[in-house]
Amino acid sequence: MTIKTKSLTDGMEIEHTVGNVFADDPKMSMRNVDVFYNDKQAIKNVSIDLARNQVTALIGPSGCGKSTFLRCLNRMNDTIDICKIKGSLLLDGEDIYHKKMDPVLLRARVGMVFQKPNPFPKSIYDNVAYGPRIHGLAASKDDLDEIVVTSLQKAGLYKEVKDRLSSSGTGLSGGQQQRLCIARTIAVSPEIILMDEPASALDPIATAIIEELIDELKEKYTIAIVTHSMQQAARISQTTAYFHMGSLIEVGSTDHIFTNPSHQLTENYITGRFG
Amino acid sequence: MTSTALILIITLLTLGSYWVGMQRSIKVAGGVSQIKNMHSLPQQFGLLTAFCCGLPALFLLLLWGIVEPIIIQSLLVDSLDAQVQALSSADLSLYLNDIRIMADSTLSELSNDGVKQQAALYLQVLKDQASILKSGLILITALASVMFIASRFKLSFSARALSESVTKFLFLSCSVVAIFTTLGILMSVLFESLQFFKSVSSLDFLFGTTWSPQIAMRSDQVGSSGAFGAVPLFAGTMLISFIAMTIAAPVGLLTAIYLSQYASPTLRTIAKPMLEILAGIPTVVYGFFAALTVAPFIRDTGEALGLNVASESALAAGIVMGVMIIPFVSSLSDDALNAVPKALKEGSLAMGATESETIKKILLPAALPGIIGAMLLAVSRAIGETMIVVMAAGMAANLTANPLAAVTTVTVQIVTLLTGDQEFDSPKTLAAFALGLMLFVTTLLLNVIALKVVRKYREQYD
Ligand SMILES: Nc1ncnc2c1ncn2[C@@H]1O[C@H](COP(=O)(O)OP(=O)(O)OP(=O)(O)O)[C@@H](O)[C@H]1O
Ligand SMILES: [Mg+2]
Repeated sequence: MTIKTKSLTDGMEIEHTVGNVFADDPKMSMRNVDVFYNDKQAIKNVSIDLARNQVTALIGPSGCGKSTFLRCLNRMNDTIDICKIKGSLLLDGEDIYHKKMDPVLLRARVGMVFQKPNPFPKSIYDNVAYGPRIHGLAASKDDLDEIVVTSLQKAGLYKEVKDRLSSSGTGLSGGQQQRLCIARTIAVSPEIILMDEPASALDPIATAIIEELIDELKEKYTIAIVTHSMQQAARISQTTAYFHMGSLIEVGSTDHIFTNPSHQLTENYITGRFG
Repeated sequence: MTSTALILIITLLTLGSYWVGMQRSIKVAGGVSQIKNMHSLPQQFGLLTAFCCGLPALFLLLLWGIVEPIIIQSLLVDSLDAQVQALSSADLSLYLNDIRIMADSTLSELSNDGVKQQAALYLQVLKDQASILKSGLILITALASVMFIASRFKLSFSARALSESVTKFLFLSCSVVAIFTTLGILMSVLFESLQFFKSVSSLDFLFGTTWSPQIAMRSDQVGSSGAFGAVPLFAGTMLISFIAMTIAAPVGLLTAIYLSQYASPTLRTIAKPMLEILAGIPTVVYGFFAALTVAPFIRDTGEALGLNVASESALAAGIVMGVMIIPFVSSLSDDALNAVPKALKEGSLAMGATESETIKKILLPAALPGIIGAMLLAVSRAIGETMIVVMAAGMAANLTANPLAAVTTVTVQIVTLLTGDQEFDSPKTLAAFALGLMLFVTTLLLNVIALKVVRKYREQYD
């Protein structure tokens, strides 16, 4: 574990990530990923694995590229014309940017909860039923009801909305919308769930429910979560990755990162001297 | 001074008083550095002063314009002989008209009627006096109100609230103008239509199936009394609009979807303006195209298939009209689709939906109100379109649902009723207004229905 940085001041070039980026059993592995918005580089030479059935937390100051990186993992950045991606991104050993890879199938396997809640302008029920309907996951109306109810229950929203499943999803509060989007995503049982600050608008109780859900989900799924809450990252993740200005500074087991960070920038950040 | 010159001067004074108000308020505050002690900003004082200068003056000008002719006329009539005053109102107005013409013309010396000559001179004098009085009064009002308002400036003077409410009032009056114009048009059409319904029963008009608006010009003329059944016209209008929409709605909507969702940015920047050029082609050119290219083509094809096609057909007019309104549908639907937040589209794609599923299930429902609006505008265009129909669908008021027959539409008939020589009190001419009223009611109903549909099915996205 050597630090190969030129200096510690801002604007420095970071050549290598500190810590072990390799997982024993990677579900996804990214190598030397660069992301550009036009000429502006938002992600610089990032390599990291997402370990199977584990929660990986991505932390870092605002604007450091966490969302950008996360969106590469299900090719959501394809929808942005000016966004260009280099490097290799493998899902179970398959290159997800290979021209034979169908982004539609990929996204069915890699679900995403967005930073800003984006419920569809449909009923709460239809929001959750959207994915199962598209993918034909429910054989009957009863099946679909079952999926919708369990998904809402898992996201901790069911109690609040059970009497108004047919009212519009956009009429919910910000935090309720966030949980609706989580329910919507888990309704299709993807293999990987990418969560971009899923608890940013939630009260402590709802947050606890979501954290419980994440803990439970990792038995079956692989999870990457962006969060601004150090405590949350420490509570729910097994691996933590610290991003800074588009570079991945340090990766390591969550215990290690939060008790004994190796890189000065990481330490500054988690002790609150930055961001 | 003419009114134009007066308006120009008022405008200049208004601009000047903005500056005066600003300077005055700064002085009241005690210098630029003291402005923060004032309740309002110097610009707001300026605005208020400008309003005080311009608005009363303009209002006075308007009032004067209404009142002056009335007063001058009564003065003029009073000055005339009792014998002239006793004339019937129609004759009197003719007489006065002569005087006015003489007063306005420089050749008035040529006239040989001494009495009228004198009256004309008197009228000229009256007008000159009125003009001087008007200019003086208005300018004094403008200046006086500026002085008045400026003298009241003090630190706590709330120019902000006052200028704000004057601005609000100005906006209000602008919208009132629009509303009253519409009402005015409606009233005049309604009034003429009532005249029409005095001579033709409204049931005959609404439900009659024969349209042949030949009416005897003179009582001794041979000829029928005319039939004013509007059903064939509305049927024709609906038929042609329907044909046009069956072309424009799908083509326009699919174009919009392609342009907004699939097309590359380069293609988009080229294709969109090109489409909008279509909307800029004069309809008479489309009419030409319909009559000389499409109609013969349809006839030939029809004949080859053994069908009986009129040389002027609803189909030809409908098709060309459909092409004409494609850009209305596509351009507005495109805007509606682009207005749907990108996050919704991403949300759907992230669920593993394909592009077309996303369009069908998320984008189109969310953009529905805009799309319905686009369709509605297109339908109104189709209903109101005249030129293409005149040239390609003919004038024959046939009651038919056969797109291969010649038909005519409401607007075409309005044009034919109102062009050429006609009397303004014959039912033939008045029928045009009744048709206009019906057209107005139809489009109004269409709008109401569309609004209801949108309310029912809209999916609100924020
Ligand atoms: N669509 C885009 N077009 C251009 N630049 C973008 C776009 N999206 C993000 N960026 C830029 O990429 C950089 C990283 O943005 P990103 O959204 O990934 O940050 P983040 O780490 O998620 O921040 P936050 O914690 O505030 O969400 C920023 O400098 C941002 O300006
Ligand atoms: Mg982000």
